[in-house]
Amino acid sequence: MINFETAAPVKLKGFGKGFWITLNPSHPEEVLISEIEKLFKKLKHLAVNADVVLDVGDAKGHEDLIQRIKLYLNNHFDLGVISTSPIKRSIPTERIRQRDLSKEWNQHRSDVLMLRGRVRSGQKINAKKHLVITGDVNPGAELIAGGDVIVLGKLSGKVHAGFPDKEDAIVFALGFNPSHVKIGSISASGSEDGVGSSPEFASVEKNKIIVRDYMKASPFRRMPWPEAI
Amino acid sequence: MEGKIIVVTSGKGGVGKTTATSSIGAALALEGNRVAIVDMDIGLRNLDVVMGLENRIVFNIVDVVLGRCKIEQAAIRDRRIDNLFLIPASQSDNKDVLTTAGVERVAKELVKQFDYVIMDSPAGIERGFENSIVGASEALVVCTPDVSAVRDADRVIGILYSRSLTPKLVVNRIEPARVKRGEMLSHEDVMEVLSIELAGLVPMDDKVLISSNTGTPLVLQNDSKAGQAFKRIARRLNGEEDVPFEVPVDRSSMWSKISKTFGLTQ
Repeated sequence: MINFETAAPVKLKGFGKGFWITLNPSHPEEVLISEIEKLFKKLKHLAVNADVVLDVGDAKGHEDLIQRIKLYLNNHFDLGVISTSPIKRSIPTERIRQRDLSKEWNQHRSDVLMLRGRVRSGQKINAKKHLVITGDVNPGAELIAGGDVIVLGKLSGKVHAGFPDKEDAIVFALGFNPSHVKIGSISASGSEDGVGSSPEFASVEKNKIIVRDYMKASPFRRMPWPEAI
Repeated sequence: MEGKIIVVTSGKGGVGKTTATSSIGAALALEGNRVAIVDMDIGLRNLDVVMGLENRIVFNIVDVVLGRCKIEQAAIRDRRIDNLFLIPASQSDNKDVLTTAGVERVAKELVKQFDYVIMDSPAGIERGFENSIVGASEALVVCTPDVSAVRDADRVIGILYSRSLTPKLVVNRIEPARVKRGEMLSHEDVMEVLSIELAGLVPMDDKVLISSNTGTPLVLQNDSKAGQAFKRIARRLNGEEDVPFEVPVDRSSMWSKISKTFGLTQ
């Protein structure tokens, strides 16, 4: 049976032109050396001139142990360059901020479902994450999204944002007049006032759905820099 | 050249599909086309009554599809318009006796014999509706300016698009006086929601009821506003361009405006 609890004393992985050896320094030095010997004997000619990187995983220190093992390998096998793993340096906060500002969305892969055109009565649209519709949503249509729902047009159907229980989702529409709004598990029926004169959005405040003028109370206005969602 | 099959549909019942079918069919026949009107509302037949042909029915569309008779035997010639034919529905069967494959086969036969085949679809979006759109090359969606009719028409338009049919819209029973008072949606409101190409605007007309009950074609009555509107729709369907859209207007207020202009009333 394989025991996942205690890591093996020596792990060997193929790496570039050679091997990456991860040592578990909690085992005695003799065990480590005998394990390495076993592995390299099995490799036979594959180990000739191979580069080796020695690494102690997440453990800190053990430089002397690595030195001794390096010496042992040099003496017993015909290897290439033996080195230790490069030190992982933490990136200063300032640089993270800069990276956020300039590059975050370059690596971003999105689940946003963006549709163009009119959604008609009887049509039901399910989106895993955010849903953007450039077009009108007619009465009798239904939108369900795991995240926000953004309608660049008139929204008249039934809408459920933040499905099933994400209550920080919003519903935005240029013409906001849905028959029923649900955000997470909180729902509200549409108003009978019709479409307002400006873009509006619905969000959850104190367990209630509140609809506000987007230009006056945009929830994103206070965010200092854009972030990919 | 093969003819066209135009399906007239609406989703909601009672919006004027049958009137539109018979009127547009008659108008197309008056333009010189050979036209067949097919009643696809199996079990609830009434196109024959509207056209005043109920006494002449021998065979019906179910007989044709099931191969009990030929199309020529089931097609009844109109009393007034020579190249207008009706293939009536069956009153005794229900909608499940027809299969889409059977209807499609008959549709292919019909286009060989007629310039235009107008299918009167039943209300709803079930089997009967599916049967009536299966062979169609064009679709007309009839909608009245009611919220419920618009909702149903919207659903039907969605289904028609999914079957690669691009429907055109007929806004029926427009009452300009009520639109003006804000009691009824305007045709602009309907078009805004449905956003498809407009085929025509038909005003509310008391003559429709009289015409249906007496079995006389609406389009033969020159004083019928609805009849004239259906004639214009037929001309548009017949490929005539630049047929103007006449927006129904409230005559009474128009008259009072004119009177005011000339100082006749205060």
